[in-house]
Amino acid sequence: MRDSRIRRALRVIAASAIVALVIAFYFRVASVNNTTVALTLLLVIFGISAWWGLLEATIASLVAVLGFNYYFLPPIGTFEVQDPQNWVALAAFLVTSVMANQLSARAKRRTREAVDRRREIEGLYALSQSLLLSGSARTASQDLVSRVVRILGVTTVAFHTRLTHETFRWGPDDALISDEQLQTDRDEALIDRSRGVAIVPVRLGGQALGNLGLTGPLPSEAVLNAVAYLVAIGVERARTLEEASRAEAARQSEVLKSALLDALAHDFRTPLTSIKAAVTSLLGQPRPDAERELMTIINEEADRLNRLVAEVLEMVRIEAGKLHLEKRPQDVSEVIDATLAELKPLLHDRPVEVRLQDALPAADADFDFVQQVLRQLLDNALKYSPSGSPLTISARAGEGRVVVSVADRGSGIDEQEQLRIFDKFFRAREHRFRLPGTGMGLAIAKGIVEAHGGRIWVTSEPGQGSVFSFSLPVHRGEMVS
Amino acid sequence: MSAGKILVVDDDPQIRRVMRATLVGHKYEVIEARNGEDALIRISAEIPDLVLLDMNMPGLNGLETCQHLRSGSDVPIIILSVRNSEKDKVAALDAGADDYITKPFGMEELLARIRAALRRAPTSPESGPHSVATADLQIDFDTRRIHVRGKETRLTPKEFDLLRYLVSQAGKPVPHRELLQAVWGPDYGDEPEYLRVFINQLRKKIEPNPAKPKYILTEPWVGYRFAAGGDLG
Repeated sequence: MRDSRIRRALRVIAASAIVALVIAFYFRVASVNNTTVALTLLLVIFGISAWWGLLEATIASLVAVLGFNYYFLPPIGTFEVQDPQNWVALAAFLVTSVMANQLSARAKRRTREAVDRRREIEGLYALSQSLLLSGSARTASQDLVSRVVRILGVTTVAFHTRLTHETFRWGPDDALISDEQLQTDRDEALIDRSRGVAIVPVRLGGQALGNLGLTGPLPSEAVLNAVAYLVAIGVERARTLEEASRAEAARQSEVLKSALLDALAHDFRTPLTSIKAAVTSLLGQPRPDAERELMTIINEEADRLNRLVAEVLEMVRIEAGKLHLEKRPQDVSEVIDATLAELKPLLHDRPVEVRLQDALPAADADFDFVQQVLRQLLDNALKYSPSGSPLTISARAGEGRVVVSVADRGSGIDEQEQLRIFDKFFRAREHRFRLPGTGMGLAIAKGIVEAHGGRIWVTSEPGQGSVFSFSLPVHRGEMVS
Repeated sequence: MSAGKILVVDDDPQIRRVMRATLVGHKYEVIEARNGEDALIRISAEIPDLVLLDMNMPGLNGLETCQHLRSGSDVPIIILSVRNSEKDKVAALDAGADDYITKPFGMEELLARIRAALRRAPTSPESGPHSVATADLQIDFDTRRIHVRGKETRLTPKEFDLLRYLVSQAGKPVPHRELLQAVWGPDYGDEPEYLRVFINQLRKKIEPNPAKPKYILTEPWVGYRFAAGGDLG
């Protein structure tokens, strides 16, 4: 403060000295008319006003008026103003000094503002550039606060992220912003210029990501908002990157999983192929009955092992979400016909009734997989109901679904077992050691139906029989004629 | 006398052993290759009558080997694979295989398929024509030669038999099952994908515009029909 006052005083003295020098020059050295003197003084005052300020220019114009009056206006050597026209000269000096000063002050203010804006924009640009370099969300947040301090020239910056509920701070701990203030949800920026404290909400697309607090010499509100926006973009970008890399890692593990599955399938089936080929080759030749019986056992067990491998692989594939469905508009009656045709040898002693609702819509389904589900349900019905008892297959539509049911007249399933019947490896208690099976058939059927976006369930009355049903989504906009 | 020379291509020595024992027992001559590269060398040196080709091998896999074999030979190829999806079968047939069998398989089935692949329908069926000539297609069934727009074109034996059967029934729609059994053998009939692939290949070879066929027409839900655009002799 003192410095600037002394500087001002010096400038006043210098301004007066310059005016005095001009007057002395014209009075002593060059002899010119009064108009020239007046115009020269006017220029000098204009210059002083533009470069230094109003005070300097006003005092300089007073000195100029007094000097001009004393040395050049008649009566020369007195301060008297004989001619009223000379008041005009005096007024002109004063008005010029004031006007020039205001103009220059405005220009200077504009320049300063422009420089400030440029600096702010450069800062924002630098900040936006640096955002592209940040890595993970966590290091990005820490990076961001330090960059904001450096680039905006504020004293401290604090950022609270709602994502992990962490607060990142940078700069000396001036305790001007509390954690609580940072954690509070706010719609608008809180800016207290007298204390040099601002808390700006960090939002992106209407979603609150946290708050940014700044202390020290604050930039304009627009800049604060822009910084908050950049921080939001930076944090969001880092988060998306992190997610993308996680997704990539997950994808790679999926690739590995399916490669493993393929290798497994190959490695299990290769020895099975040799066993099966060898034993069927032997069975192709005439053999004594006992030998034939033993070879048949080897052959059947090789088949069973192969089915087991297939089921395990299918289960793993379902659980890994790697079932490749080729969904097409599918008339379920075709699936029913094909399945019945395939199981014909097993159904020879069973009356099978097929009940189809009229104008059944097409289901959105993979023929082979749906056939596998239906085969499984029919297989189960055959296994768990007395031979010769009838089976009913029905298909109906409702609520955007096609529902296929298989009903048998078996012993039924009690409520406890109904709950667990679709679990992997579950086998009904009474059949566990009596009938062959892996306990994966229904679990696989469930996986397939669910992969279609459908549901599978059972209703059963012990002693009356069971109804297994599954639903498939109706193919949109198409009816099977 | 040998019933035919079979090249067994499989990286698993046990499978090669079983194959050799069984096939030799059925009077076939057996040569072995342990991988695709080996198979390509063997085939030019030995000229087998049939190739049993494993799909999953290190190095040149079954499909690639099949394509290489097919580019220089019309030897019947049966692919053996642990995969049984339609997609895999179609890929194998597209690569030039004549048949596809899923591992593990029963030896009787494999032997039946080998017999089917080796069997050629007699060169001049009683009922069928001996030759066909249209503006851009000449087929001589006796010499098994075919010229498309004046250029001699090679068909694999299965493609040729398929074309001949269709021509012998020219103008009539031939159902899928009938066509499969006539060309592949009585054990076949449920392999519509075989027909899809082979008909596509035939169309590529003889149709001026395979996307809009004028000779081999699809009869929706039934089968295929040869449109006799020329004179049958």
